[in-house]
Amino acid sequence: MARVEFQHSLDALEATLQEQGELVLRALRGAVDVLGSQDVELCDEVIAFDDEVDARYHGIEKSVGELLAQQSPVATDLRLVLAILHDSIHLERIGDQCVTIAKLTKLAAELEPRHDLVEGLTEMGERAAEMVRIALDSFSARDVERAHSLVELDELIDRTNRRVSDQVLTMANTPGTQEWGMRMIVVARCIERIGDNAVDIGEQTAFVVTGEFHEFTDASH
Amino acid sequence: MGGNTRDGLTNVTAPHIDNSKLGALGSAAAADGRGSSTIFDVSGLSVSYKGNLALKDVDLEIKKNFVTAFIGPSGCGKSTFIRCFNRMNDLIPGATVDGSVLYHGKDLYGSDVDPVEVRRLIGMVFQKPNPFPKSIYENVAFGPKVLGMKDALDERIERALQSAALWDEVKDRLKENALGLSGGQQQRLCIARAIAVEPDVILMDEPASALDPISTSRIEDLIHELKQDYTIVIVTHNMQQAARVADMTAFFSVELREDGSGRHGILVEYDQTTKIFTNPSDKRTEDYVTGRFG
Repeated sequence: MARVEFQHSLDALEATLQEQGELVLRALRGAVDVLGSQDVELCDEVIAFDDEVDARYHGIEKSVGELLAQQSPVATDLRLVLAILHDSIHLERIGDQCVTIAKLTKLAAELEPRHDLVEGLTEMGERAAEMVRIALDSFSARDVERAHSLVELDELIDRTNRRVSDQVLTMANTPGTQEWGMRMIVVARCIERIGDNAVDIGEQTAFVVTGEFHEFTDASH
Repeated sequence: MGGNTRDGLTNVTAPHIDNSKLGALGSAAAADGRGSSTIFDVSGLSVSYKGNLALKDVDLEIKKNFVTAFIGPSGCGKSTFIRCFNRMNDLIPGATVDGSVLYHGKDLYGSDVDPVEVRRLIGMVFQKPNPFPKSIYENVAFGPKVLGMKDALDERIERALQSAALWDEVKDRLKENALGLSGGQQQRLCIARAIAVEPDVILMDEPASALDPISTSRIEDLIHELKQDYTIVIVTHNMQQAARVADMTAFFSVELREDGSGRHGILVEYDQTTKIFTNPSDKRTEDYVTGRFG
């Protein structure tokens, strides 16, 4: 195998991406936990933890720049480098969504929650975490079929999101619950976006393997 | 045309040649007219030197006003192939060319074709700049004078030097010896010399491999400018150079004969340069362009 050093650099870059993915999953699990516990301290931890995720993203961005400048990757190598950069951005955005969930949960900590809705949101969050796990694993295994399975899982999250939104709307006339409901509708939206980001990562897996980029689903339909 | 025996040769994998893509690119480039018609149509081309097969069974089309790059490892036959386009192999004793090369639909190797006229229409620039030990002016004037293109010679020379992006650097010292120019300037002088006889095609065999990076960039910029007026075929060892300058890229490789009688070059893949360098169809191309060979 020629270009041994280059291959080492590619391997290290991919390892950093997986590391970033593990950090994001920790943040996501924390964000899902606080929905039920309303633990303000844990909210602060989730918010502060985002610096770790961002640091990995900046590290990957710098390494990609260096690899492009020094190694001129082409073909599969080029697609891998581009996909890693995209995936890292998607993971960074998932990290940001976790921060938003934690901040909203903090703001709603003093308000009375609706437990059935909290259950729905927690279910969405757990599905989203499962999706991120599958997105990372299928990228690592270059498993396009598994990456494609994210579309169905995303549909489940979307469905729950619509259900939560409808339930929040029914709370509009119930005094004392509007603020909590308004905040939770944004939380639901954040989790729904995490599902979308996981699908985005799946699309990058297909791009690396097939050489052609296609969105798995057309959001305009 | 001479023939050669193919006894004992193995069947090779058919090269990946996506003519539909080529056509799409041609029509996509219709705004500036490049790539809309075929200059060379090569089919079943094989070349042997004294009975030893060097290049086997190449089919390929070169489009007008495109830059077409040939890449591949040493011994893959890319230089042999480019020399078929202006019958330079005729000058090598024992060389035989089998198959056909149509130039604007006409057999380039037909008995009624004058090789000297072929080489006027299809100029060539070599790896090592090879100016004559004469003045800058005489280097460019040589071809037109030999071919009787003597009208408005000064204007012709100025135009050729301008096209080769050399005029501003040499206009005040046209009578000086060309060997006093830098390597990069000498190579651009050779390009001016090729242009001066109003060719249709310019063949370049490793035109920048002996030059420093700045001179290389100037040659590459020049190739981008020249493709508006000429069809350019370039052999290069520098894959990034092919990626930078070429519309189409052909990857050649070496194939060992199963009977152990030797090795010869084959065309593995021919496609848009962007395709070759982002998503090649053949694993051999992938391994070569990513450096995962050997």
